[in-house]
Amino acid sequence: MNKLSPQSEVRCLNCLKRFTVSPKAETAVCPHCNTKYRISWPTPNQAKVRGLA
Amino acid sequence: MRRRLTLQKMLVIDPEKCTGCRLCETACSIHNEKTCEPERARIHITKWENEGIYIPIVCQQCDIPICETVCPMHAVKRDPETHAVIIDSELCVGCRLCVQFCPFGGVGVDDKTKRIIKCDLCNGEPVCVEFCQPEALQYINATTLNMRKRRAAAEKFSEHLKKMLRANY
Amino acid sequence: MVIKMVWNREILYINLSTGKISSRTVPKIIRTRYLGGRGVNMYMLFNHLTPKTDPLSPDNVLLVGAGLLAGIPCLGSGRCDIGAKSPLTGAVGDSNIGGFFAPELRFAGFDHIVITGKTSKPVYLLIKNRDIQIKDASHIWGQDTFETQKIIRQDEDDENIKSLVIGAAGENLVKFANVRTGMKNSAGRTGMGCVMGSKNLKAIAVRGTTTLEFTHPDELLEYCKQMNTMITSTRWAKAQSRWGTMIIYSNTNTTGLIRTKNFQLNQLEEGQDLEPENIDKYSIGTSGCYGCAVHCRHRYVLKEGPYAPLYGEGPEYTSLGAFGTMVNCNKMETILVANHLVNKYGVDTLETGGLIAWAMELYEKGIINDKATDGLKLEWGNEEAVYEMIRKITYREGFGNILADGFKAAITKIGSESKYYAIQIKGMSNLHSDERPTPSFALGIATSTRGADHLRSRPAIDMYGLPEELLEEVYGGHVASDYNSYDGKDRMVWWQELLYAVTDSIGVCKFQTVFCAVHAPQWKEFSNLINLTTGLNFSKNQLMEIGERIYTIERLFNSREGFSRKDDNLPERYFKEPTTLGLSAARNKKISMEKFNKMLDGYYKLHSWDSNGVPTRESLKKLDLDHEPSNLV
Ligand code: SF4
Ligand code: SF4
Ligand SMILES: [Zn+2]
Repeated sequence: MNKLSPQSEVRCLNCLKRFTVSPKAETAVCPHCNTKYRISWPTPNQAKVRGLA
Repeated sequence: MRRRLTLQKMLVIDPEKCTGCRLCETACSIHNEKTCEPERARIHITKWENEGIYIPIVCQQCDIPICETVCPMHAVKRDPETHAVIIDSELCVGCRLCVQFCPFGGVGVDDKTKRIIKCDLCNGEPVCVEFCQPEALQYINATTLNMRKRRAAAEKFSEHLKKMLRANY
Repeated sequence: MVIKMVWNREILYINLSTGKISSRTVPKIIRTRYLGGRGVNMYMLFNHLTPKTDPLSPDNVLLVGAGLLAGIPCLGSGRCDIGAKSPLTGAVGDSNIGGFFAPELRFAGFDHIVITGKTSKPVYLLIKNRDIQIKDASHIWGQDTFETQKIIRQDEDDENIKSLVIGAAGENLVKFANVRTGMKNSAGRTGMGCVMGSKNLKAIAVRGTTTLEFTHPDELLEYCKQMNTMITSTRWAKAQSRWGTMIIYSNTNTTGLIRTKNFQLNQLEEGQDLEPENIDKYSIGTSGCYGCAVHCRHRYVLKEGPYAPLYGEGPEYTSLGAFGTMVNCNKMETILVANHLVNKYGVDTLETGGLIAWAMELYEKGIINDKATDGLKLEWGNEEAVYEMIRKITYREGFGNILADGFKAAITKIGSESKYYAIQIKGMSNLHSDERPTPSFALGIATSTRGADHLRSRPAIDMYGLPEELLEEVYGGHVASDYNSYDGKDRMVWWQELLYAVTDSIGVCKFQTVFCAVHAPQWKEFSNLINLTTGLNFSKNQLMEIGERIYTIERLFNSREGFSRKDDNLPERYFKEPTTLGLSAARNKKISMEKFNKMLDGYYKLHSWDSNGVPTRESLKKLDLDHEPSNLV
């Protein structure tokens, strides 16, 4: 598998730690604090938090 | 003065991506005139501000340049390296026929020097392209352009197909 | 060394009462002390006005100033600063505007315009290089801000004219009327459009074709390219390029940092339609200001509904709050329509939304009733009432006339009971941000020289939980990483105030500085840009000193008008009502009065002001401010 670009990381708004989001994912769960987010993609390899899932 | 049939890069404009920031104009004027005078740039952004339409206007480096055809002094030449259409200022008498006849607004008169100015593709590294973040200006080779156009057309076509298929069910 | 550009740009003085026009170059001492833009404006504001000047009298001065770097191809260098004594607050009036006006003014040969007096009939100012005319504006008086610009271009048969204009709100002396240029750009805050209206000045139109020279053009071009890459490679700028400043909403509403229903909640729970991604279905592309590689606004089209067809630009994050969360409307279309209306009328989006939200809470609490509102149901989420109030404020009709004078006057008219609900500082509405969980933001809105405002200091990177070693490196002292903490946040705010004072004076966009990322441009990059552009050399410390000088002269202006520590306060509710929604770091938070006051003490010390927030003799001496007013320009 390709190494994920660092841009597909997001910062968890709850614990402020970064975590990696898999490409094109629409949701993601912070592995540190379990907060679940909806994700959107400003560019094909950059993820951002859209809201809570 | 036809083009050689090699892979030739060309300056391609996509007005839909232009954000109207005028970075290209500014960078062009600093590069060519060493001053900031968008007025004297070789590229211009034409805007219909109240409707939100921005169109970059620059010489198309035509295959059969109209400017060359109308120039009575044979001052219009082609750069052998970049294939840019250039005006030999030694020969140019400033009659402005090229300005009048170019259908793209590609040639202009420098109000300060009263000389003819036009894009020379910056010796193959167009500065405007380097400054255009949204890629409304690109310097790509002709085959890439053709390929992209085909791909875009194919995508539109497949969208249509999908819609038609959905409509059938 | 050649210092070209610095020497040949002029200050243009216009007296509208006498018609006298004169100009002079900006002296070097002013450049080295105040740079340009906001810095020079604030110097002139202090110097040209006598204490207690009526903001709407001909004696008030309208200051227009291009930033020192206006025209360079990076960092959104199109910024222009507009100053006057604020009719809204009575304090420093100052508002920064992007777009294309500042470079055009500079191309015409001028960096500053100083307008005093008042004409008996509506006029506009037309500047074509050195040809300056005061022209009759009776045919554009009454036109909206879009049409006004169009008509001027048609009249002069020149598509490249750039204008600063006012709309109906400015004409009607709405205290928070703004000054606008292009389809979107607004100098929104502190009522600069009201001052312009009071002078009967409908527009300032400019067209310039003179030469703007730089000291090191080739190096500058190369460095600008680097700056653009530096900024566009940040995550923040990439997201902003895509969806504009609305992206802040994703973070703040998710966390619980958005005031909703005026100040009752800190999150819009059914707020999915306001997510920035939803602009895509209305967008025909993005749009940038002069010299901007980020292009943070959309060009949008509304094709359906009672307001269609409509073309607009934006909306900003601010409008999502003003006509969304604060008034409890949760539809993107409401935002798009309201954004268009305030732009058309030329009235500040934030102040308008803040006042309407306040009125809605008063209506809910029974402090005002249908009779007071002319029968308008000011209920939460009633978008038609929002549109109608925007119109009534602009035209000063009925209840709109009460709100049109801003919080201070409206509280007096409606009654003291209403004061508790007003989320304002020094008479100006706060953004829709809820600062109870973030002491750094809270301090910033309290100390801002122009009243409740996020753009004087907002240390947005406080939200990132950055390592303390990194924060120490940036801020030059200890700052806690936790955004709930008060520790070191005085330093953070102080430092940001200085940086943004300089940012507004060189005329680049704040979004292309540390506002968005810790490694984005700041002192060092500013210093390099100034050097390559003008040949002037400033160290980081010298630039910080200039920032301190600018902030201090604003403070001096306010002190002279009677402002002091008592005015650097938060609305009572910040101390009394804890937040109730959001993620754990935002939930159940309020500001501690004791810690806030300690933070304020620390903040004054960093500025070298006394415990009442007044600059001390020594601090003034150090900043060469001990002989003000010095009347140099
Ligand atoms: S740099 Fe690109 S986006 Fe900006 S005006 Fe030029 S063509 Fe348009
Ligand atoms: S100047 Fe005009 S006619 Fe001549 S090559 Fe360029 S686009 Fe063609
Ligand atoms: Zn987490």
